[in-house]
Amino acid sequence: MHHVPVPVTIIFAILLAALILSLALEEKLHAKKSVIVGFYGVIVLLLASVFGLAHPETVEILGHPVRFPVYVPGVDWEVVAIILGSAVFVDVMSKTGLFTWIAIKLTKMSRGDPVRLLIFYGLMTVVFSAVLNNVTAMIIIGTLTMVSVTKLKRSNQLLGFLLVEALLTNVGGLLTLISSVPNIIIGNAAGISFATFFINASPYVVVATAATIWLGARLFKIRPLANDAEKTEAAELVAGFDENDGISSPGFFWFGVTMLFAFIIAMASASFLPYVRELGLGYIAISFAVVMLLRYKATADRFYEAVDWDLLGFFIGLFIIINMMELAAVLTAIGVGLAPVLAMGDKVGPAVLLFASATISSVTDNIPLAAVLAKILAGMDLPASSPYWWSVIFGANLGGNITPIGSASTLVAVAIIHKAKLPLSFGAFVKVAVPFAAMQLVLAIAYVLLILGS
Amino acid sequence: MSKVDLFESAFRSADKPAFVRAPLTMARILVVTDLDTAASGALLGQVRGYLNAIDGGQIHWAVLDTNGYDNVKNLLEHVEAEKPDLIVTYRHLKSSAWKWPFSLGEYLDVLTQTTTIPVLVLPHPDAAHALPHSVRNTDNVMAITDHLSGDNAIVNVAASFTADGGTCWLSHVESGQIYERYMDVISRIPEIDTQTAREAIGEQLLKEPRDFIARARTALEAEGHAIKVEAIVTMGRRIDEYRHLIEAHEIDLLILHTKDDEQLAMHGTAYPLAVEMRQIPLLML
Repeated sequence: MHHVPVPVTIIFAILLAALILSLALEEKLHAKKSVIVGFYGVIVLLLASVFGLAHPETVEILGHPVRFPVYVPGVDWEVVAIILGSAVFVDVMSKTGLFTWIAIKLTKMSRGDPVRLLIFYGLMTVVFSAVLNNVTAMIIIGTLTMVSVTKLKRSNQLLGFLLVEALLTNVGGLLTLISSVPNIIIGNAAGISFATFFINASPYVVVATAATIWLGARLFKIRPLANDAEKTEAAELVAGFDENDGISSPGFFWFGVTMLFAFIIAMASASFLPYVRELGLGYIAISFAVVMLLRYKATADRFYEAVDWDLLGFFIGLFIIINMMELAAVLTAIGVGLAPVLAMGDKVGPAVLLFASATISSVTDNIPLAAVLAKILAGMDLPASSPYWWSVIFGANLGGNITPIGSASTLVAVAIIHKAKLPLSFGAFVKVAVPFAAMQLVLAIAYVLLILGS
Repeated sequence: MSKVDLFESAFRSADKPAFVRAPLTMARILVVTDLDTAASGALLGQVRGYLNAIDGGQIHWAVLDTNGYDNVKNLLEHVEAEKPDLIVTYRHLKSSAWKWPFSLGEYLDVLTQTTTIPVLVLPHPDAAHALPHSVRNTDNVMAITDHLSGDNAIVNVAASFTADGGTCWLSHVESGQIYERYMDVISRIPEIDTQTAREAIGEQLLKEPRDFIARARTALEAEGHAIKVEAIVTMGRRIDEYRHLIEAHEIDLLILHTKDDEQLAMHGTAYPLAVEMRQIPLLML
């Protein structure tokens, strides 16, 4: 390991702190994440070059040495491929009408009963968050909730529904390896397979979902319909929804169903599939996106427009910066700072790390946190089964439930709440969300320590 | 377009008004004429034959002939006293202006707007412009509106007036002129893609009534009605479209809304339609 002078490490640490602060103030700065990270990335790379930290990397490909600038190999391209492929796949999938079909079918199955509706929407939020991504799940369920709850003349309960759904997106985001970006980053760094991730995380997701829905029904006074007249009226109102309205072609709909199942199976079995195993999850995500795009081969470019380029730019910039932080020994310094936590033992250590991760994630983006901690923990050669990995995964995901700026899906929920003209300030969100977040964190700590750490 | 708007639109589009079947109940029908008693009796016979579809033998028929009233006030008082479920009369009642077909006549203008009772307006008995098939039966009934989606009343009335074995035409003609006016405005707004707007708005405007008609047809078929329900959903110039449809399908009865909560005058498109469509009976709701 090369020697880095302490003042250089301090300069880079200040830049990292400034970056995290800027991301926390993203809304106030009126700047996109990619621009913030890009700005710091340009400065960090230049300073790294000035201090002699950045040297081109030579990689041997097919026996030929290829020189890359330092910012190319620093990026985890598999993570980028997973996010890009999944985004396009999900976007084309939404055109099949499958997601709206499921959402409306469940609405009709509830027969307009508020409690049944809360349970169905809650479960749907978790499953959609796991299979799609938190933001898309929140958009689908949130907009449906806005339309259906208003139609059922229960606008007074709309806020409760939307908040419970927002808080469940981050629970659903824990279900699979590709459900959220911190999962992908940590899972990749720890070497946790898709199947192992699901097996380890799903019991917690089931318990946390049930507890969140139960608490939501209690706190927001969501009760079953009282009499037959109310039941008949509610059933007639939801019967007006047509689940087939969004299906433009039944053939494409069934193709979408098949592809979605195939996608999940392929992701789950990626570590066992011969040939595919070597290519990784990013290859699977991109392959499925390409196959879906064949339906729109002449107009595929409009799906490229729908890709969240800000998010991808943010990742790429972030990976570059964190790589530079590693070269500047900032990560080593943070690792030293974390040493007392790790020294607390296998019970207290993971609990403190989980709580700290959640606290940091509640006020700033959880992705830099996951990326930094993934690098540090990977440097410690921890086994994939170590509870520390899971502490970061649970903390980074659930921390987003404490404040409205804690995660992208809670931000979307707040946007939908404001679109529905419901008043909800930052403080009011925190006041309502804290009991849920506290319950979910307590359950998570207990789960990591008693189940995963034993 | 943001994804929130995208999915909100998808769910709003999927939220469709249900068709609620409500069979028509007619206990009393008042026939108002400006003819003498004998001629009024003959007209009554013709009307009863014509409205056979709703006359199950339980209806009380009453006639108010020319001797029963001599001004609009008298007429309204008679209607108030009789409390019929339907008034049957003809255009230019007690008016010699039927030779100049530019109105319905003062009696009818007032009657259709002051009462909430549906008024069946026949062609003027002396005018020669009634179509040969009119006032014989109600084999072909057409409901016309520019907003059919969710309009249970007009569909229920149209289905009830259609004779067994006949066809109930549910029509919705979207004004092509208004649509083009909006498209012209959209074509001048750079932020809105003109072609997408043209296709999407045109499609959605016609999709809603089509979906509603499909639901109504399913509900009526489930009830075992011996009538056929046909959909006519199009865009164009309303008067021309309806004139063409009436002739093409030999329509026996045209049903339309005429009331407008926001004004004393007849509903925007109803009056020109009522004045122009003088070849066949009109049921004005």
